[in-house]
Amino acid sequence: MAENCIQNNIRKLRFLHDEMTQQELARQVGVTRQTIVAIENAKYSPSLEVAFRIALVFGVPLEDVFSYGPVDDV
Amino acid sequence: MSFKQKNTLVMLVNFSLLLLYVSFRVWQMVQTDTFINENVFSMFGVVVVWAIIGTIVAVILSHLVPLIIKAAKTGKDKVEIDDLEDERDKLIDMRGTQVTYTAASLGSLIAMLTFVFGQPPLVMFCLLLFFGVLAQVIGDATRLMLYRGRL
Repeated sequence: MAENCIQNNIRKLRFLHDEMTQQELARQVGVTRQTIVAIENAKYSPSLEVAFRIALVFGVPLEDVFSYGPVDDV
Repeated sequence: MSFKQKNTLVMLVNFSLLLLYVSFRVWQMVQTDTFINENVFSMFGVVVVWAIIGTIVAVILSHLVPLIIKAAKTGKDKVEIDDLEDERDKLIDMRGTQVTYTAASLGSLIAMLTFVFGQPPLVMFCLLLFFGVLAQVIGDATRLMLYRGRL
């Protein structure tokens, strides 16, 4: 049975924002680049505050950045 | 590698060396039949001084060395210090501390058990010292593993 997990579109959103670097996103969100890498690779689920700040940087609603659903390969 | 990761790595190396020192000294004392109060307490003094100075040197090293390398690479006089600590660092630190305390508690329990087997208090003291340092090593190793894995 497929397990549920938090997925994100950060890579896609960075691409759509002039290929924004992970370092630049980290600076605007106020976390380290390593944390952005971990979130992007679904190795870390951020707090609500950081999730909202990421959405704010991209100017999109939270559900456009993060989603929760089944994935086959967890 | 973030500042916190570098700091944890240097601390891990420092406390691993300290653990080796404690193990070697105890083994040496047992071999040469000099397992006496004076030698054990002098070893305790070395461990305390080593832990304090080692921690200070670790922080300086993890701050300075990356800065010097960065300055040499970019050729700039003023380099930004990247010592930001975010929620993930704090969470990993908390879990590492939890593991350290658990290991230290188990170590203390084992050290107390030596009384049951009729060993002198000096053995208990040495075991407390050994497990104290070992707990720190296990905690730092856990932190590094959490940095690399899923949290």
